[in-house]
Amino acid sequence: MIELTINGKKVKTEKGKTILQAALSNGIKIPNLCYDKRVVPFGGCRVCVVEIEGQRKLEASCATLAGDGMVVLTDTPKVRRARQAVLEFMLVHHPLDCPVCDKAGECDLQELVYEYGKPDGRFVREKKHSPPDTKGPLVELTANRCILCGKCVRLCSEYQGRGALGFIGRGFSTVVQPAFGEAIECDYCGQCIDICPTGALLNKSFKYKARPWSLEEKDTICPFCSCGCTLTLGIREGKILRSRGKEDLGVSGGNLCGRGRFGFDYIYSENRLKTPFIRKEANLEPSTWDEALAYISDRLKYILSNANGSESVGAIGSHRCTNEDNFMLRKFMQNVVGSDNMDSSSALGFSRVRKALNMVFGLKDHTIDMKSPIGKDVILIIESDLSVTHPVFGLNILKAKREGAKLIVADSKETKLTKHSTQWSRIKQGTGVAFLNGIMKVIVDKGLFNREVASGITGFSELEKSLEAYSPEKVTEITGISSEELIGAAETLAKAKSRILSFTLSPSENTKCIDTILAASNLVILLGEGPESLQIPAEYANTYGAYSMGIRPDAGKSEGKNLFDMLYVSGSINALYIMGEDPVSVLPYKSRIIKTLKSLELLIVQDIALTETAKLAHVILPASSWAEKDGTFTNAEGVTQRVYKLIDSTGEALPDWQILRNLSSAMGTDMAAGTLEGLSNEIKKTIRSEKATSNKRTFHPVLYSRGEEPDNEYPLSLVTRDILQHSGTMSTRSKTLNLVSSEAIIEMNERDAKRFGISDNSHVKVISRRGAVYLRAAVSDEVPDGAVYVPAHFPHSGISTLTSPSIHGGIAMETVRVEAA
Amino acid sequence: MRVEDLDVNEMIGDVGKIICEHDRKKGVLIHAFQKIQQDYGYLPGEVLMTLSKKLSLPLAEIYSVASFYKQFHFSPRGKKVVRVCMGTACHVRGAKNVLNALEDEFGIKQGETTDDLAMTLETVGCVGCCGLAPVATINEDVVGDIGKKKLELLVKAIKEEEK
Ligand code: SF4
Ligand code: SF4
Ligand code: SF4
Ligand code: FES
Ligand code: FES
Repeated sequence: MIELTINGKKVKTEKGKTILQAALSNGIKIPNLCYDKRVVPFGGCRVCVVEIEGQRKLEASCATLAGDGMVVLTDTPKVRRARQAVLEFMLVHHPLDCPVCDKAGECDLQELVYEYGKPDGRFVREKKHSPPDTKGPLVELTANRCILCGKCVRLCSEYQGRGALGFIGRGFSTVVQPAFGEAIECDYCGQCIDICPTGALLNKSFKYKARPWSLEEKDTICPFCSCGCTLTLGIREGKILRSRGKEDLGVSGGNLCGRGRFGFDYIYSENRLKTPFIRKEANLEPSTWDEALAYISDRLKYILSNANGSESVGAIGSHRCTNEDNFMLRKFMQNVVGSDNMDSSSALGFSRVRKALNMVFGLKDHTIDMKSPIGKDVILIIESDLSVTHPVFGLNILKAKREGAKLIVADSKETKLTKHSTQWSRIKQGTGVAFLNGIMKVIVDKGLFNREVASGITGFSELEKSLEAYSPEKVTEITGISSEELIGAAETLAKAKSRILSFTLSPSENTKCIDTILAASNLVILLGEGPESLQIPAEYANTYGAYSMGIRPDAGKSEGKNLFDMLYVSGSINALYIMGEDPVSVLPYKSRIIKTLKSLELLIVQDIALTETAKLAHVILPASSWAEKDGTFTNAEGVTQRVYKLIDSTGEALPDWQILRNLSSAMGTDMAAGTLEGLSNEIKKTIRSEKATSNKRTFHPVLYSRGEEPDNEYPLSLVTRDILQHSGTMSTRSKTLNLVSSEAIIEMNERDAKRFGISDNSHVKVISRRGAVYLRAAVSDEVPDGAVYVPAHFPHSGISTLTSPSIHGGIAMETVRVEAA
Repeated sequence: MRVEDLDVNEMIGDVGKIICEHDRKKGVLIHAFQKIQQDYGYLPGEVLMTLSKKLSLPLAEIYSVASFYKQFHFSPRGKKVVRVCMGTACHVRGAKNVLNALEDEFGIKQGETTDDLAMTLETVGCVGCCGLAPVATINEDVVGDIGKKKLELLVKAIKEEEK
């Protein structure tokens, strides 16, 4: 710690901090335009100049280290004059078109000029005339408003790891632009919009929608992935007009990805449900709430009155709904129906993580720590692109790498993480388990672990035996990477002082399975570490929460029916209540699910929009969207955060928990918790968080097995992978996100494209053993030979027609053939 | 040079030992540009794209560095590069007329290249022989004292096929 005096006040700061940082962290404001704590100081704008005692020159406080005993003055006449001059220069070319600039009112430049500027500049120069560059879909660039502070350039390249923008040209004609002045083609995170201190970079979807001062801003939690970022929503006249991140706010510190920033308009999609519907013959007809509830009540009571009645009713909960909604569903099932048949789509994701970690460590909980990558020696990623599925967690991985961590990525596809990796082991799709086993084999053979400790753990000899089959040569055969690469990775990992293994598991990705978790756990235990070295985030905004609320078959006294029973086995149940989920689009093997759902006596679907599943229902109940109700979400870190009712419900839609409460009353059971508050209290009493510490360790050796083998008829593996612009299927209802990506594009390598006579951007027919769909193809060198890659987000692209789930938890990689269409 | 074969460590030499990987890659850019320009006469977009992949540096960063230097070009250049001096001395002695005349004759503006890639017309600030003003250069050759007569010769020299 060092001590310095700023404006007569003694302040302390860490060694290595700049004067500006010392001041800001002690509540002293120094104006700045090119400083941002996420990027390396630049010292370009000079408005942060200060006087330092004993120095004749003014110094830029953002680029000068604080020294012990330094005496700094930040607001003297000399300093003010300098700032005034600097601003005067900045305005020489600036168009000062504040009346038509969306930034006006929250523009750093405007505010500083207002404080320090002079009414007239001494310079008369031609103003720059450059029409806004509106070529990009989401970000608009008006070069003449740019003061070349370089924050966007540095943020995009250093922090986001993208580098879509550069300073182009030199001298007066320098502009900030993408390469060759072409349309911005990037991650569309919009982080550069937030960081720009002027109106040069603007949110195109918000353009001319409202003056910032006419917006009411409210904070809530992002409805998409499980990072749980805080969105600051701008609302006017009851409509959400924009979303932005605010510095230091929430778990992400104000960072957002493009989904959180641009995707909220999914709630304004055209097919939002406004009234209940009841099926009359073949048609779904609008009804009143009373009719709908009475109808459900009658039919459900009838079904319940049969022998084993309650056994024949099931429910599916949702990561899109709040904890309160999910808890109410559980209460409804347990108290009104009397059944434990409950599950959610996380049966193919987070539930498997929980199950595996319970087997290995005896854990009853699993959270990640989004900051866990920071400061680690080695980060190992298995077949995942966390920068896509969990973008803000991904930023921390990149940050750790910048600060010196070794990043080893085992993945078949080129991703942002592989681009930034220290070692990219391009294993074949779906061979992560073999790779992990191979690493363990090297560690065991070379004695890179504490044998004494490890051999005392249950299952060690079995593990050692199972690894026999994973010699480097054998692993090379399976994964396609060289033995040297494998040995190198094993050594780096084993010799590191600290490490994490991270990957994702979700219904929309098919190259990993429960075995991947077990293999990764074995590796972690072998190296003498515990579950904190495994960072496997829950998938979506409230996946973790829904699970904790007991939306799973084993939450009650008896083991209920699970997702597979309810959706893939006809006749397993007679009635199904689906809240906030669209299994037909989201889950693999569409035709089977449709068949099961059609065989039901009663299908109730409660959702915000007319989904593919809702179209099959006997009754549809309209639910309020995430911004239309109060409640809580719990993110992958296990942090429970409030989401707020910010706007009125659409039509007659009601919050999910209220619908269930009303239905319970209609069926003659009054739920004790009639209010949200009562419900929260009950949750607090019922759901005890079992904090995860356990010393139990067991090896669970797993063998590598793959899904379908490619053959002559179906020569390609089909890999489903998420894309950055979407999270789950709801985001595909966002018009703004769809400007970037609105359909599933099938990516294939040039060699395969040639082999099957397919050209870039053409349409192809993709055929699997389960069905066929037509998709647009992209020829890409990011993907390897022998496999095609598609995202499963888009309901209308019908990827779930092609895929199938693995009921026992193994890899469910399909094979397909492609034909030019 | 094939961009794919570029060896960063060899090109950067001993300095590479003391700077970080990113700086090594960035440091090698100018050399790479020069070599590419030698081979192609300019920096073609696709080649820069390959370079960007090869070095895993973002294209915008590469383009940013290249666009800083006047010596690098992003479109094909003519066989003959004609530079009309617009320095002070030449300006006073009628450089503007020379430029206008050439622009009219070849139907291109300064900074442009004729469609048949025969000639690129540029301006330059003082080539260092003000005594001969107004001056123009054709590739490496200097033509001075450009009056009416000389102008015709200049045009002829430009049109002349290269031997
Ligand atoms: S939107 Fe994100 S990726 Fe695109 S230019 Fe801006 S900061 Fe870079
Ligand atoms: S566009 Fe904005 S952030 Fe980027 S350099 Fe210009 S003023 Fe700075
Ligand atoms: S999708 Fe995830 S990373 Fe993106 S803003 Fe929302 S919570 Fe944050
Ligand atoms: S903030 Fe210090 S020079 Fe810009
Ligand atoms: S001004 Fe033209 S040569 Fe010097």
